[in-house]
Amino acid sequence: MNDPRSIRVHYLLRAVLLLGFALYIAHLSQQDALHYYVAPKLARWIRLCPVPLALMAASLGIQALFGKSSALCDCEHQLPRSLFRSTALYGLFLFPLLLGFVLPDRALGSAAAARKGISLTYIAPEEGSGERFTASNPYQEEFAGLAGRLYKQPVITVHPEIFSETFGAIDLYKEQFEGKQIKVSGFLYKGQGTDGGSFAVSRFLVQCCTADATPFGILLDPQTQISLPADTWIEVQGKLHVAQYQGKAVVQITPEHVTPILQPDTPYVYSNADSIAAWEQISGAPAEAGAK
Amino acid sequence: MTIFSPFKLLPLLIPAVFLIILGVVWLPAHPELLDNSYLHSFKTAFIGILLEALPFVLLGALLSSLLRVFVPDEWISRWIPRRPVPAILFGCLLGILFPVCECGMIPLVRRLMQKGMPLYVAVVFILSGPILNPVVYGATLTAFRTHPWLAYARMGLAFAVAAAIGFIIYATVTKSPLRLSIRRETGEPHRLSTRGGRFVSVLVHTSDEFFEMGKYLIIGCLLTSGIQSFMDHGSLEAIGGMPLGSYLFMMGLAFVLSLCSTSDAFVAATFLHTFPAGSLLAFMVLGPMLDFKNSLMLLSLFKTRFALYLFFLIFAAVFTGSVLASLWL
Repeated sequence: MNDPRSIRVHYLLRAVLLLGFALYIAHLSQQDALHYYVAPKLARWIRLCPVPLALMAASLGIQALFGKSSALCDCEHQLPRSLFRSTALYGLFLFPLLLGFVLPDRALGSAAAARKGISLTYIAPEEGSGERFTASNPYQEEFAGLAGRLYKQPVITVHPEIFSETFGAIDLYKEQFEGKQIKVSGFLYKGQGTDGGSFAVSRFLVQCCTADATPFGILLDPQTQISLPADTWIEVQGKLHVAQYQGKAVVQITPEHVTPILQPDTPYVYSNADSIAAWEQISGAPAEAGAK
Repeated sequence: MTIFSPFKLLPLLIPAVFLIILGVVWLPAHPELLDNSYLHSFKTAFIGILLEALPFVLLGALLSSLLRVFVPDEWISRWIPRRPVPAILFGCLLGILFPVCECGMIPLVRRLMQKGMPLYVAVVFILSGPILNPVVYGATLTAFRTHPWLAYARMGLAFAVAAAIGFIIYATVTKSPLRLSIRRETGEPHRLSTRGGRFVSVLVHTSDEFFEMGKYLIIGCLLTSGIQSFMDHGSLEAIGGMPLGSYLFMMGLAFVLSLCSTSDAFVAATFLHTFPAGSLLAFMVLGPMLDFKNSLMLLSLFKTRFALYLFFLIFAAVFTGSVLASLWL
């Protein structure tokens, strides 16, 4: 068992670390940088965390400074006894804080996409389309409905809010979309190694946090000459085609314009529970809204 | 017993302070030193997993301290059925009441066990809680909207695996496998003498729990994000070529990726066209029950021998279950 004086030191150190975590989260939230790490639905909960953390730090501080010595006891939760163990423990907690404050926040890019393996299709190939925009099971109804609405557009704009659903709908009915005009923005992915020379306009789909980020990409026609470096944010407008890529039928764009754009405020895309409603809402707004 | 004195810290504090000053003042002026794609994806993954787990760990620690301070021991044992079959069913369904992610589970279960929850019910709760809850069911259904039966199979298999392991533990383990330090419930509660009353006492216990669990969480996050940012998924897919290899591969992947149970279905869905459905099932059932982060936390709760026994049971049950399920589906 530790003596009361060392318990006080431990409590103070812990209070400082807890405050550090609270400040780091507040800093991320203030800089609007939380979306680099977690999806918006989770970010809500993380923004609340500084409150309990600060309260915990305050009560530890009160115990350390004003607590009666007889009341300070670590018999239930043992505090580390040796200096080495304490340093290791608090060093471990200090590490994420240092990493967080020292390195700049940056979105995942081409290199991470290559390591995770970029997905050029949304669904399994055998799930292919039958008749025009009809769903073969009730779970395709959302995609079928979205595909029907997209098809009526002269130029299909892929809105970031419903990127993965739009991509899914086009992929499911790719034969019907052959030759349609499309406009999509994302970062430029350059294939390395086995798929060398391939380009794709890509986005990371994030469900919970960056650990589950899945890169999705729409292949660009290999004939097009693109001199931009990888990870440049681009907007591509062109015609949709079905192409064979490594033995699979994938959607491909033959670009007419490739324009570099600024990185959007939210670089990742998130899944949308009701993509049709979201689409109706966005397309009701001015057309430029999706280009951002 | 060594006496901990702040002066002993001085020789360590000076280099630490030097490093911190170096880190804060000098490094931002030389960003090119740190401009490395591996380091960036490491940081993004590490902070991402840590932030994702933080609300759940805090919630678990808070619930556990509230239980400790406010709920008398008899309540818990009165609620839990005495006979094993209803008790195991109770454990499986507890996840619907407490939809806590696996990271918040351990502190909560620890407190429940201290308050008299039998071991086998606790294990069933640890295993089924992160899968058998409405949030995970909804997420799985969304991810597999083209193959909804995979979501039903996931729930069914998780239930079967948790119940089977609960029975095995009920039948085979008699001695308490808890680590010693937690068993020592002192009869004399010293919480009344905590300065600031019960509210402060809850918060002090919450932070004790937070530091206790946090170290395993951070080590788990470090390992996971290290693997995520340095490992090439493509190079691993070659291992999955053998008939049962794909099952082992997907289970290994679930273990090392340590994804949250609400999001792993979306990652599994991207493997839909490369791997058999049964192996995806194994991925989605094993991951929430056993992964890097979680196994370190289980090792902190249970004695090493029992923890290893539990890991083996989980692995064997999920493997057999998912192979059988794929034959039947």
